[in-house]
Order: sequence, then C-alpha cells, then structure tokens
Amino acid sequence: MEGQIIANGFHHAYWGFPIATYFWLVGASAGSFVISTLGWVFGVKKYKPTAFFASNMAIALLMIVPLILIIDLGKPFRFFHLLMLPSFSHWSAPMIWGSCFILSYPVGMMFYSYFVYKKNEKWARILGILAVVLALCTHWYTGVVIQLNPSRLPNHASVAPILFLTGAYVSGIGLLNILLWIRNRFVGPKSQVSSGLIADMARLMLYGIVFDLFLLWNEFLQMTYGLGEEHTMLYDVLLGPFRWPYFYLEIIWGLVIPLIILIIPKINRQLFWVLLASFMCATGVYGMRIWWVMASFYYQGHY
Amino acid sequence: MGERVYGFNGVSPSAGKPGRKRYAMVIDLRRCTGCNACTASCKTAYDVPLGESRIWLMEAEVGEFPNTKRNVLPRLCNQCDQPSCIRNCPTKATFKHPDGFVLQRYNRCIGCRTCMVACPYNARHFLPEHRRDPRNPRNVADKCDFCIVRVTRGLAPICVDSCTGGAMIFGDMNDPESEVSRVFLENKTFTLRPEQGNAPQVFYIGLNEQIADPEFAFHHRSAQLHARYNTFKRNSEVGGEMAGNIIDTDMGFFGLVRQALRNYKTFFKDAPHKIFRGLF
Ligand code: SF4
Ligand code: SF4
Repeated sequence: MEGQIIANGFHHAYWGFPIATYFWLVGASAGSFVISTLGWVFGVKKYKPTAFFASNMAIALLMIVPLILIIDLGKPFRFFHLLMLPSFSHWSAPMIWGSCFILSYPVGMMFYSYFVYKKNEKWARILGILAVVLALCTHWYTGVVIQLNPSRLPNHASVAPILFLTGAYVSGIGLLNILLWIRNRFVGPKSQVSSGLIADMARLMLYGIVFDLFLLWNEFLQMTYGLGEEHTMLYDVLLGPFRWPYFYLEIIWGLVIPLIILIIPKINRQLFWVLLASFMCATGVYGMRIWWVMASFYYQGHY
Repeated sequence: MGERVYGFNGVSPSAGKPGRKRYAMVIDLRRCTGCNACTASCKTAYDVPLGESRIWLMEAEVGEFPNTKRNVLPRLCNQCDQPSCIRNCPTKATFKHPDGFVLQRYNRCIGCRTCMVACPYNARHFLPEHRRDPRNPRNVADKCDFCIVRVTRGLAPICVDSCTGGAMIFGDMNDPESEVSRVFLENKTFTLRPEQGNAPQVFYIGLNEQIADPEFAFHHRSAQLHARYNTFKRNSEVGGEMAGNIIDTDMGFFGLVRQALRNYKTFFKDAPHKIFRGLF
C-alpha cells in the first residue's frame, strides 16, 4: 500500500474536538433543562428552587454552541443556507432538522424562564412542556446526525440517540450540581440551594448512570458478536488508541466510580462526595463524545 | 441540462431514457499496472491540494514469497445512483446530474463536511484555505466530477485518457454499442462495498476481495506506512479539515490532551481567516 504515499491517498478526520465539545454542551444544556422543568411541569415541588437557575444555565450553554458550530463550518457566513427552507435546505439531511431545533429551543427556554421568574404557573407549565420536547429533540438530533451514516460502523447503531440522551441527562445534572454549589457561595442564605437538594439530584443522576451502563453493556455485547470491524473496535476501546476516551474516561471515571460513590449509603449524601461524583460524571461524558465523533473516522480512514 | 436530482430512489435518473446519457466507468484490474498516471494527471488538471486526491491507488501485497502478488485498486468517486453524500448534504450543494455525474456547487456549500462523513468510499475531500491559484474555491468540499467539463466537450475523463494500461473504460451505458456497455456485458464486474447500497457506477473487473475490504486494508498496511501516515498527520498544516486526525501511536492520556490542544489550535488559527477573508 506504499503507493498511497505517492498518491497522497490519505483521508482525514473531518470532525474533531470542537464538534465533540458542541455535543457535550448541547447535552449538558438539555440535561439541565430537564431538571429545570421537574418542578414546574412535572410537579415535583422540591425541585422548584433550581428551576430558574437551571434554565438560565441551559440558555447560557446554548449561546456558546452555535458559535462553535458556525466557526467550524468552512464558510461561516453561509450558515443561513441551512435556514432557507425549502429552496436551499435539503429536507432529508438530519442537520436541517437540527438547525430548526437549535433555533427554536433557546426561544422556548427564554419564555419558560420568563414565566418562571414571574411565577406564572400556567404558562410556565405550557412552555415548559414545549421547551422540554425541543430540548430532547435538539439532543436527539446530534445522535442522529452521526447515526445516519451507514458506512461509519461504530456510529451506525440505533442505540446512538438514546445513548446521547442518557449522557446528556447525566452530564447536565453533574454540571448543574457543580454550578449550584458555586452559586451558593455568592448568594444570600435565603436563595441558597440546600445540600440535601443537591444530593437528591445526584440520586436522579444515579438512575441515569445505571441506564447508561446498561446501554454500554449492550454495545459491548454487539461488539463481541460482531464482524471484523467490530472486533477491531472492541480491541481499540479496551487496549488500543481509544482506551482513554472510552474506557478510562467514560466508563471508569465517568460512570463506575460515581456509581460506587452514589450507592455507598454513608457518603452518598455528603456534599463533598456528591459534588465529586457530579464532576466526574460531567467530565466523563466528554470522553463518550470524543469516541462517538472520532472513532468512525479512524476506522474508515485507511480505506 | 435537465433538472437536478436530489432524490434517493436508487435508479439512475437517465437509465434507459432515449436521448439521455448514462455515464459509467469500468476498470479492468487485470490491465492496471499501478503506474499512478491517473493520479498525477488528475492532480495537475484540477489543482487538487496537497494531501488530497480525486483519484488514488490502493496497493496491497498478499501472499508469502515466492507466491506473492501485488494488487492495485484505482479509487475515485463512484458517482453513485443512490448517493449517501447527497442525502446527507443539508444545503443541496451536491446533486446528481441526470446524465450520471454527482456534482458539487461551490457557491452553495457551507463546508460542514457532512457529505464526507456520509460517503462510504472516502471519495470527498476538503479544499484548504490556501490554494495554488487564489481564484479557486476554498474551504468547501470537493470531489471527482467524472471530468464533466471534458466529457460534455466530447473528450474522455483525464484519468481515462492518461491510463497507460488501457484499463479504464468510460462511456454511455444507455448506448448498447458503446465500448463500456460491451465490456460491462461481456465480463463479470464488481463494485466496492455493495452492502452500503449506494449503487456505484464505477465497476471493476477482477476485483480482489482482499483489497476491496476496508477491514483488510486497515490491518494490512505495513508498519512503515503506518508510521508515515502518523507523521503526515502530525505535521500537516493545511487547515481546519485536519482537525481531529488521530495519531494512534500517541493515544495515552497526555497524547489525548496534546491532540485536543493541537486540534483547538488549528480551529482558532483558522477562524479569523474563515470569517474575515473567505467571506463569500
Ligand atoms: S462515491 Fe461518495 S462522493 Fe461519490 S457519489 Fe458515492 S457517496 Fe457521493
Ligand atoms: S460540505 Fe458542502 S457539499 Fe458537503 S454536506 Fe456540507 S454543504 Fe453539502
């Protein structure tokens, strides 16, 4: 195959760490927004104090996201081509669906935030339902964008969007816990969030972690019973080039250790341990984003 | 020109239509000598940037001495009838010409690289910020177009013209008398990765299953090629499209951090160029 040197037949990875970061931010935004709606939409009263902050955090994260996406384009000023339905945009491309979601989701969140601020139960509830659906769709589409490439084997699995949403849920709560704790140091005692509430949210995170591990287990099963390329993947995530993002960062650091912390009864309500687990979860999901974005380029790159 | 086709029905838009062409290519691998003349002529003709190719050769040596054989495989865009690049392109920047070409519109492409991710054949590449001729398009996707500018003027594609072994045959499949139709009907032909369902329009005679298999290609590169591949990726400074290239000998924890930093460096270095210089 040395002829490829002469012919320059090298193929490059087309998306990189910026796109992984974008997936992570969208996920954290969607996850924290889901928590924000627990109190006002789903009627779990005790989460009401977090709603306004969580929703604003989701909006802030979603302000950074389009910047990364647009600068990552080859022609940043042509991003409006994505929005000119139907003459320019192509309905069959998942990226078009995503552009619609990414535009409407922050608007929905802003209205929701406003009504939460005004303590308007009825409208906060209506817009909360709308925005939470949009939040899920926005993150669902990031999974779909890389799922709908049949030739990129690691990504072409129907579990991708669910795995993305679970990661979003986990990392959103993790990040929210950290930021709530930081906020507590700057606000008066009346608007502080109690550490009991933070521990409760970590309990919600625990369910997400268990579900995520279950999905990953299924992914592993598929790899072991797969064809040639899947065996290569299995080797690479355990011992090869992807062991750091996938095995150490995502599974060990991001899921297993937090799981252990959160199921030990003595420490799972102590603020330090809860925050540590939250931090680990939030950063561990970044490893999953790296693996999902980049692995497929690695395998097909030599063809 | 007829209407542009963005659809995805798996049928060549001109198949069997009187008065329409259905361009396709047959590559007879028994005659290919692996001389790279197609690669060189195409690169010269279209100012294909360094590190990219519209047509390239894959080579693999199989067997134990003295029973060895070198397999060569010229690769180019397959001008698929069911192209995943078109289906996934969000801006209709790439479309199927009714005569069979899959074409690229540089003025509409936003450079999102979705088409490259979708193409199972790695047939697309990205045009960097710096071109030899500054009037050429930059920061958009590009691909082999079956030399539409030559074909519509009655010439063969430049790779076919320059093929020293006479291995490439190009022509109109709708015309039963054409050379390509006769060769296609008289020989057993294969396409690459048929399981992807892209209905490729480049057919191979004598395709060796070992070189046609991406898994085989992945595992049977020599250690030397592997090392050079990594060196190439480490040193290439062409632009943002290099971002995210994985140097797989450097994937420890610090290697991962290094690669992330390297990737972000390119990202931020390219951003002002893309925003202020490449406006339209
Ligand atoms: S080979 Fe790739 S770029 Fe060419 S038409 Fe098929 S999917 Fe598109
Ligand atoms: S890079 Fe251009 S041609 Fe490719 S999918 Fe994006 S807009 Fe379409």
